[in-house]
Amino acid sequence: MTEKQGISLGEAQGGPWNRIRRTLARRTEGRALALLIIVVIVTAIMEPIAFTAYEVTLGSIALIGLVALGLTAVILMGELDLAVASTLALAGVVMASIDDLALGIVTALVVGLLIGVVNAFFVVVVGINSFIATLGMLFFLRGAAFVLSGEEPVRLSDIDAGIAFGKPLIGGLTPRMLLFILAFLALQVFVTRVRAGREFYAVGGNRQAAYDAGIPVRRRIFTGFMISGFVAALAGIINTLERTAADPTAGSTVLLASFAAAIIGGVLLTGGRGSVFGTLLGAASLGILQVALTLSGVQVDVQNIVIGSVLFIAVITDPNSLRSVLGSARSFFRGRSRASPT
Amino acid sequence: MSKRFLRLASLLAVSMLILAACGDGDSSDTTTGGDAEPAATAAPSDGGETFEIFALLPQGNDQPYGTTYLPPFEAKAAELGLNVTITNSQYDADKQASECEVAVAANPDLIILWPAVGDTVRPCLEAANAAGIPVTVTNSDLNPEDQELSAAYSGPDTYGQGVASAEIFCELAGGEDVGIIMVNGLTGNSTAIDREAGFEDTVNEQCPNVTILARQPGNWNKDESQIAASEMITAVGAENIGGAYAADDTMVAGVIDAFKAQGIDPADLIITSIGNTFLGNPLVVSGELDGTVFQSSSWDGENAAVVAHQVLSESPSERIVLFMPSVPVTADNADDPSVAPEW
Amino acid sequence: MTQEKPTAVAPNQPDHDLSAAGAAGEKDATSRNVRVLDWLSQRGIFVFTILLIVFAAIFINGFASLLNITDVFNRAAPIGIVAVGMTFVVITGNYLDLSVVAQVATAAVVLIAVSNESTIPAAMGLALLIAVVYGFVNGVAVGVFKANAVIVTLSTTFIGLGLLRWFTGGSIYFGPQDGVIRSFGLAKLGPFPLAMLVLIVVTLILSWVLNQTNFGFLVKSYGSNREATRLAGVNTAWVVIGAFGLSALGAMIGGFVLGAFSNTAVSAMSTGFDFRALAAIIVGGTSVFGGRGSVLRTLLGVVFVSVLTNIMVLSGLTFGVQQMVIGALIVAAVSVDALARKAATS
Repeated sequence: MTEKQGISLGEAQGGPWNRIRRTLARRTEGRALALLIIVVIVTAIMEPIAFTAYEVTLGSIALIGLVALGLTAVILMGELDLAVASTLALAGVVMASIDDLALGIVTALVVGLLIGVVNAFFVVVVGINSFIATLGMLFFLRGAAFVLSGEEPVRLSDIDAGIAFGKPLIGGLTPRMLLFILAFLALQVFVTRVRAGREFYAVGGNRQAAYDAGIPVRRRIFTGFMISGFVAALAGIINTLERTAADPTAGSTVLLASFAAAIIGGVLLTGGRGSVFGTLLGAASLGILQVALTLSGVQVDVQNIVIGSVLFIAVITDPNSLRSVLGSARSFFRGRSRASPT
Repeated sequence: MSKRFLRLASLLAVSMLILAACGDGDSSDTTTGGDAEPAATAAPSDGGETFEIFALLPQGNDQPYGTTYLPPFEAKAAELGLNVTITNSQYDADKQASECEVAVAANPDLIILWPAVGDTVRPCLEAANAAGIPVTVTNSDLNPEDQELSAAYSGPDTYGQGVASAEIFCELAGGEDVGIIMVNGLTGNSTAIDREAGFEDTVNEQCPNVTILARQPGNWNKDESQIAASEMITAVGAENIGGAYAADDTMVAGVIDAFKAQGIDPADLIITSIGNTFLGNPLVVSGELDGTVFQSSSWDGENAAVVAHQVLSESPSERIVLFMPSVPVTADNADDPSVAPEW
Repeated sequence: MTQEKPTAVAPNQPDHDLSAAGAAGEKDATSRNVRVLDWLSQRGIFVFTILLIVFAAIFINGFASLLNITDVFNRAAPIGIVAVGMTFVVITGNYLDLSVVAQVATAAVVLIAVSNESTIPAAMGLALLIAVVYGFVNGVAVGVFKANAVIVTLSTTFIGLGLLRWFTGGSIYFGPQDGVIRSFGLAKLGPFPLAMLVLIVVTLILSWVLNQTNFGFLVKSYGSNREATRLAGVNTAWVVIGAFGLSALGAMIGGFVLGAFSNTAVSAMSTGFDFRALAAIIVGGTSVFGGRGSVLRTLLGVVFVSVLTNIMVLSGLTFGVQQMVIGALIVAAVSVDALARKAATS
C-alpha cells in the first residue's frame, strides 16, 4: 500500500450475467454442489438403484444430515460442538428408559436443550474454548449414557410404536425424513430470515465487532448450542425409535460425518461463512455416496479408501485452496515469495 | 433475499422431482457393480441357479475373527452359486440399519444378517419380511421374540461360549473359594455383553464359590488388558486372586503377561478364556492358560453360506438352527488337530 | 471474513497472553492476588498433577507401589509419544491430527509383520517411509491447499486404515516370544519401562525443537498469526508440513512402543488414540487456538490423565463412570485455568 495514484477498482460491470457471477462467487456452496453433481452422475451410471429406491438414499442423507444441520448453527458462530455424538446416545437412552413414550420423547428433548445450555455456559460464562468444553462433554455424556443404560442397549417399552415410526408416513417419506426436511427448512429460515439467526454470522465473523454493534452475543451463543443439542437429541430419539432400542455406543461415526458434511458444504470452521443449504448439499453427497458404495458390494476396505479419497479431493479443491495453490505456484516460479493478499 | 430463497426452493423442487421421476421403477435385478469380489462372480459349479444375496456383517477385515470368517464364507458361497454383496457396519447399529434398508431396496433373494446389536434389528427383519426376502442369521442369534422373523441361524452361541468357559473354570475350581479378576470385551458390544452374562450366570449357578473380585474392559486388545489386569491385581491384592477370566484369547494373553510382570506364575492360577486362537492355543499347551473355547471362524463362515443356500433351495417350513459346538479346549485336547486354531 | 486471531480481550476467548497484565506494574495487595492467580493459571496443571498423585498415594490402596507406577508409565508411554508429536499440529492452529489412529496401527503392524519376515531395521525403515508420506500428504493438503485439517486428517485416516486392512487382510500379527521386540517391551530401568524412557527422550528432543530451533519458533509464529508469518517471507507450507511430519513421527514411535509392549499388532489396536492424545494436550494447557504451547506441558497432561485412569481402575469404577470423570476433569481443569485468568485480569 505505498505510492498509489488513487485506488481504482475498475468499472462495476453491469448486466445480468455479471450479477449472477458476482452472486455465485459470494456463495459458499459451489464446491458442495459440484461434488453432489459428480456423485449423482457417477451413482446414476453405476448404481441406479440408489435412485430407484430413493427413500433409502433420503434416509441415508437424513442420518448424516440431521446432526450436521444443528452443528452448522454452532459452527457459523465460530464455535464447535463435539458433544453431539454423546448427546445423541444419551438422549436415546433417556427416552428408552422411560416407559411412557411421549414423556420419554419430551424428556430426551429437554435433556438435549439442557446439554446445549451447559455447553454454552462453559463457553460464555466460564470462558473456555468450545472445542475443549465440548470435548470434555463428549466424554462425560458418553459415560453418562453407559452408566444410565448399564452398558448395554435399552429396549423401548413400546416396540410397535418404534416400528411404526420407521414406516413411510407421507408419500414414500418416513417420519425421519420429514423431520429432517422440517429441521432443514426451520434452520435455513432462521439463519437467513430471522434477525437472531442472521446475527450468528456476525458473531462468527468478528466477535468483537458484533459486541460493539450491540448484538447480544452471549444470548446468541446460548441459542446456537441449544439448537445443536436439541437437534442431536432429536436424532437420538429418531434412531432409537427406528431401532426399537437405544444403543449407548451410538453416534461415533455421525460425529465426524456431520463435520465432513458441514465443511464440504462450505461452512468455515472459524465461523462467519457458510450456509445451512451448503450443509444439506454436503450431507446429500455423502449420503448418496454411502448408499452407492454399499450397493456396489465392493470390499469394505476399498469403500473406506474411496470415501477417504472423495473427502480428501473435495476438501483440497475449495476455490480458496486452489487460488492459494496457484498463488504459491506462481510465486515459486517467480523465484521469491510475494507478499500478496490471499 | 427472496431471489435466493426462490432459487433454493426451485433447486429443492427440481431435485425432488428428478428423484421421484427415477423412482417407482420396476424391481430390477440387483446389478452389483463391476468391482464385486472375484469369489462372488463365479458361475455355480453344480449347474444350479445363481442367487443374489446381501450379507450384513458387523465386522470384516477390521478384526482378526472377521478376517478368517470371510474367505471360507465367500468360497462356499461361490461354490453354491451365491452372488454375495458384503457390508461391514463395524458394530454400529445405525449403520447396519441403513445398510439393511439398502439391502431391502436392492431386493436380493436372501439376506444374511449378523446383528451388530441384537436389540435393534427387528425393524430390519420386518422390512425384509414385508418385501418377501428371507433372512438367515449368522454368528449371533436374534432375541427369542424376533427369531420367528428369520428362516435360520447358524453359528456359535456367544452366551453359550461364556457358559462353556465358566464350566471349565468351575470344574477346575473344585469346590474351593476362588477370587478372580475379569476382563471383558468392548463396552456395549453385544458379543462382550453376552459372554460376560454367560460366564457370570453360570458361575453364580454352578460354582458360587468363585467370586468375581474386579472387572474392567479390555476392549479386545492385549495391551489394554494387560494394564487393566495389572491394576486390578494391585487393587484387589495378588494374594486374594486365585484365577482370572478374559472374554477372548488375545486379552487373556495380556492378563497372563500382567501376572508374569508381577512375579506371579500363571500356571498356579485358574485362567480361562474364549477363542482358541493362534495366541491362545499355545498358552493352553504351555499350561499358562487352563482352558479356552474353540471358535471356528471357518465353520461359522462356511455354514452361513450353506444354511442360506439350504433356505433358498428347500424353503423349509421350520426355522433351521445350526449351533457351532462350543468345544472346550484344555491341556488334554489342545494338540488335537480338530481344534487347531484358525485365527 | 475469517475470524481474527484472539488478540483482544474478549470475555469468551480466554487464551490470551497474561504477561502484559502482569507487567502492568501495580504493586499493591490485590496485585499479589493477581500474581498468585496468574502463577496458578500458568502452573495449574502441574499443581493438579502433584495434588492428584499425593491424593492417590495417601488414599488409594496400592497406588504408591513400584509395580503400579510401572503400570501408569505403560499407560502413558504410547499415548504420550503420540501426543507430544501432535502438539506441533495443535500449535499451528490446526486443531488435531486424526490420522494418528491409522498411523499408530500401521507402524505397529509394519514393525511386527515385517520384522517377522525380514529384519527389524528394515521394518523401521518402511515405517519411517510411511510416516514421511503421511506427514507430507497431510502437510501439503493443509499447508499448500489450505484445506481444513480436521477433514484432511479424517480422510487420510479412512484411506490409511483402508489400505492397512487391504494389505494385511485385517490379520493379527505376533512377534516371536523371545525376540528383540519382546525384550524391549519387557525391559525396565527400576520402575521405568523402556517405553517411558523413550517418551521422556522424545519429549526432550521435541521440546528442544519447539523452543530452541528456528523451526519451532516459526511453528508458534504461524499458529499465532498466519498472515504475519507469511508476509514476513516465510514459506508457511513447509512449517505445516513439518508440523504434520513431527506428528507422524510421534505416531510412528508410539506405534513401535505399543507393538513392543503388546508383542502383537492388529489394525484395531489404536482406536481412540486421536481424542485421547488431544485430551492430554489440552489438559496440559496448550491452546487449541494455536500459537502457544509446550511439549513439556503435553507430557504433564499425559501423566495427569494416566494417573487419573489408573486411580479409577484401582478404585474399581466402571468404564461409564471413568468416562464421566475424565470428561468432568477436562472441563474442570480448563475452567479453573480460565477463571483464574479472568480474575487476574479483572
